[in-house]
Amino acid sequence: MAVPTLTVEHVTKRFGTTEFGVTAVEDFTFDVAEGEFVSVIGPSGCGKSTLFHIIGGLTGDYQGRVTVGGETVNGPHPAIGMVFQEESTFPWRNVIDNVAFPLELRGVSRAERLERALHYVTMVGLRGFEQRYPAELSGGMRQRVSIARTLAAQPKILLMDEPFASLDEQTRLLLGAKVTQIQQRLRQTTLLITHSLTEAVQLSDRIVVMTFRPGRVRRIVEVRLPRPRGDDILTSPEFGRYVAELWVDLREEANRGLDAAEHLAT
Amino acid sequence: MAAARLRLIAAVAIMAAWEALAASGLLFRDVVPSLWYIAKALAITLADPAFYRNLGVTSGEFLMAVSVGGLAGASAGLALGANRFLAAAYERWVHYLAPVPKIIFFPALLLAFGAGPGSKIAMGAISCFFPVAISVASGVRAVRPVLLNVGHGFRATTWQMATKIYLPAVREPLLNGLRLGFGVAAIGILLAETKLSKAGIGFLVMDSYRRFDMPGMYALLILVVLLVAAVNAALTRLNRN
Amino acid sequence: MIRLAPVFGLVTLIAAGLALQGLIAIDVVSRYVVPPPSEVLAALGRIVVEEQVPARFLLTSAETFAAGLLILTAGVPAGFWLYHSRPFRRAFEPWVAAWAAAPLVLAYPLFLVLFGRSSITIVILGVAAGTAPVILKTVEGLAATRTVLIDVGRSLRLTRGQMFRKILFPAAMPAIFTGLRLGLTFSLINIVGVEFLINLGGLGQLINELAERYDLAGTYAAIGFVLLASMLFFVCLEHIERWLRRAYG
Repeated sequence: MAVPTLTVEHVTKRFGTTEFGVTAVEDFTFDVAEGEFVSVIGPSGCGKSTLFHIIGGLTGDYQGRVTVGGETVNGPHPAIGMVFQEESTFPWRNVIDNVAFPLELRGVSRAERLERALHYVTMVGLRGFEQRYPAELSGGMRQRVSIARTLAAQPKILLMDEPFASLDEQTRLLLGAKVTQIQQRLRQTTLLITHSLTEAVQLSDRIVVMTFRPGRVRRIVEVRLPRPRGDDILTSPEFGRYVAELWVDLREEANRGLDAAEHLAT
Repeated sequence: MAAARLRLIAAVAIMAAWEALAASGLLFRDVVPSLWYIAKALAITLADPAFYRNLGVTSGEFLMAVSVGGLAGASAGLALGANRFLAAAYERWVHYLAPVPKIIFFPALLLAFGAGPGSKIAMGAISCFFPVAISVASGVRAVRPVLLNVGHGFRATTWQMATKIYLPAVREPLLNGLRLGFGVAAIGILLAETKLSKAGIGFLVMDSYRRFDMPGMYALLILVVLLVAAVNAALTRLNRN
Repeated sequence: MIRLAPVFGLVTLIAAGLALQGLIAIDVVSRYVVPPPSEVLAALGRIVVEEQVPARFLLTSAETFAAGLLILTAGVPAGFWLYHSRPFRRAFEPWVAAWAAAPLVLAYPLFLVLFGRSSITIVILGVAAGTAPVILKTVEGLAATRTVLIDVGRSLRLTRGQMFRKILFPAAMPAIFTGLRLGLTFSLINIVGVEFLINLGGLGQLINELAERYDLAGTYAAIGFVLLASMLFFVCLEHIERWLRRAYG
């Protein structure tokens, strides 16, 4: 196997005081190899977003170490491009200027950055919508703008936090197919945080299953499905087997989450 | 804690600068009187029955003005917000008139209501009407349609819809409109009083200006600003609850 | 039906004017309180020529424009500063709110003594009355910037200056504009009000003079001009705001 570009080593993060606090992530260790697509999957409230913020360098004050290309991450790293769960397009910029944003920061000339941005706009299938503002687009289209914007920065590692969570099922599946296609084309190293089984199986080379609070690594599953994976893979028996197998793990963790919630309520 | 300390520092700095300016004699004499004179004038004003009489006059005008203007504004706002036809017919005119400085109507109001409190009440009422009407109208339109469907589902009458659904739902925009309305009504009334009147705070300010009693004028200004700020803060708090 | 509503509104307003004319003709409404609308219309042309309405209009507009510019250049940086420093914001935001509510115009004699009887004094009063809302709304707009947009900026490693220019400022823009609209409303009240009170300068003075001459029709015509001027002004603002809203969603 190739050299890992991203490693997460024994990361632990606690919120609050030692007496009254939650351990969001505990002793979390895994890595992502170059060109690999890895998903971290877990039930809601298991600390997935905390992990996302730690790897992205937006949350400090944790134990353990995150490295990129052997270099310890200390604040946002230029090699990592983040796609957020929430809607994060700039409402005051049209599609093309949203996507060109990272190039603008680097001082790329206007003509060149528009040309390069157009390339990524086309890649996510938004050709013809360059001049539209986010308010005129659907939720799925806006999320594609966010993805294109992050890709335009040409990050070594693409880090995504449930980018399709707010979308309906059909859009999610179609967008998922689009993302695998792009990922294969760019040989883009990608880490996806998600709670969706189908999404994880459809997209990943490996899946890290997370336990419910504190979030630990329960198991790492390798997905040996052929690529390219279009949306037709969703109906194949192998696909179903992976989903069923993962569901056994995930159900247990999700149940613990529900129990915890009930415990709090009583 | 830090905020209180910062405020204290700022207040002391402002007062020190004021005193230095007063002592420097740079400005025309008495325009910036020593704080000590202002404090004395404050004490005199607060002990003067004439102050309370005039404050009573202005407060009375203000209360009348905001009840008339506020009620009319709220009713107009409810009507415009709930009825699309009325809104399409008249709302643009309300919007056009809203930012117009209402003092321009004062000569007409003087003729219609006389030089006494009547013209000031009218002035304040007109000022208060617009912000309340606009705020309530947009508030009514922002009421979630599902709430209206709930009302219709229970076969509520128009009156019940107004009092049980629209009114509670527009509480916040109503209070916001009133807060703005109170402000412009106060300005309108005080302006009118300084122009032509025989009583009221505006009259007192002009009177102290004519006698060139600068400390007295500062004392009045301070008291008015404190009063208005208190009313405003109370309304803001009411809105938060 | 709904498409005819604006026409209906206009027709009823004209009808009200005609009804007023009738009521004055049969002496139900005194012509010494409200002049007949026909005379007011006739006076429009007269005062434009005799009372230099265009020059006055320009003067009041210039005063308002100057005040607006000063309000923006003072209010927006002040708002940024308050947003930036949390303890300062906690300490002084209530002061600014009190300032916004204070009827400062009452102090106009003081401003006259300090700055003289001139347009400058009027502009200063306009600025004093209109700056606080811009500060308040700027702080509000900045504070309401969505965390995820700031996170996008952080992940792309924006400098502090870039963060302000490219994210915080555009995010706060609609709120700043609302503040400007509010500030200009207060500013205009004070500018025209003081023109009227001290009989100096533009359109406010015109109304005062005509009223003092008991030229009723002229007074009402002048009121009409002020209505027109402030309508024009705020319609322009509204168009800018609508354009902003389209761009801002």
